[in-house]
Amino acid sequence: MEPADEALCERVARRDEAAFDLLVSRYQERAYRLAWSILRNAEDARDVSQEAFIRLHEMAGSFRGRSKFSTWFYRILVNLCLDHKRKHKWWKLWVRDDDDDRAETILDRQPAPVNDPVDKLSRDETLKALGSAVDRLAPRQRAAVLLRVQEDMATYDIARVLKCSEATVRVHLHRALATLKKTVEKR
Amino acid sequence: MARHPDDDLVPYLRGELSPAERERVARHLEECPDCRQDTELLRDLLGNLAHAIGQPPAVSWARYRAELRDKLDARRQRIGWWRRPMPLALSASLAGVLLLLAVWGGRELSRSSDPIGPDEVVMGQEFGLLQDLRTVERLDLLEDLEVLRNLDGLASEHQG
Repeated sequence: MEPADEALCERVARRDEAAFDLLVSRYQERAYRLAWSILRNAEDARDVSQEAFIRLHEMAGSFRGRSKFSTWFYRILVNLCLDHKRKHKWWKLWVRDDDDDRAETILDRQPAPVNDPVDKLSRDETLKALGSAVDRLAPRQRAAVLLRVQEDMATYDIARVLKCSEATVRVHLHRALATLKKTVEKR
Repeated sequence: MARHPDDDLVPYLRGELSPAERERVARHLEECPDCRQDTELLRDLLGNLAHAIGQPPAVSWARYRAELRDKLDARRQRIGWWRRPMPLALSASLAGVLLLLAVWGGRELSRSSDPIGPDEVVMGQEFGLLQDLRTVERLDLLEDLEVLRNLDGLASEHQG
């Protein structure tokens, strides 16, 4: 039987490098995808998600097992992403980010299961608008939406990742989805 | 009708509410067509969002892990440098020197901040005033007494 994430984390705390490698293999895709969804830049997403694994390596001893390992790890990752966004906000005002992958996210990668080309175009445009609207959400609202939609996390776990109450998460989600709903309704 | 359960709709769709909360929201949805419509829109929206957010560019995971290993080793070396005996001894020596300097500097500072400056000492020796410092300190009181006496004079003039 495969060892649980929590058990692997305990082993990482005891400097078991094989356990660390296994945890990286299990979480690398999810970590990179979530970081990319928040940062919208492949290079930044790779750097920040790798930094999250380095923190995991350094801080594994502080994992007390009070929450799931995934929640604890996502908290490290999301905090790093939000910090990264905060630090680079001023820079983006001056420099257009040519490496921004936003433009190629929807049409190129998600063919819609619709046969009518007009319907498909309309749907693709709606999805594109929706994707851009997600990018414009406030950072914590966006993080809440991404954790819900991409990671399928429960409100309780999102609250632990974002270090806030469940009620606050519900408000974040409600406000974010209300904004996104307006985007869809406009089209 | 009770207030609209806006914040509860997403947890309702995900089946996260307690039975009592779920019952309350379900009852509200039966009575409120607006919230019913909102719930349907939210359901579609959540379904579409995963597609809208899309997927990141592909990554070579072997290279990703190799990069991570390099970064981890670099971080370890940086931490390790401080833990080696030589830098530790150097750091301790430097801290010791700084502590000595601070103590010595503090003493000099306390000496230089003597309330009686060199000019006052010379004057004091010349006039023999410092031989009875308490009397000198009370000279201020004598001045106050002078002021009071003048005030008395002013009062009596005013009355006259």
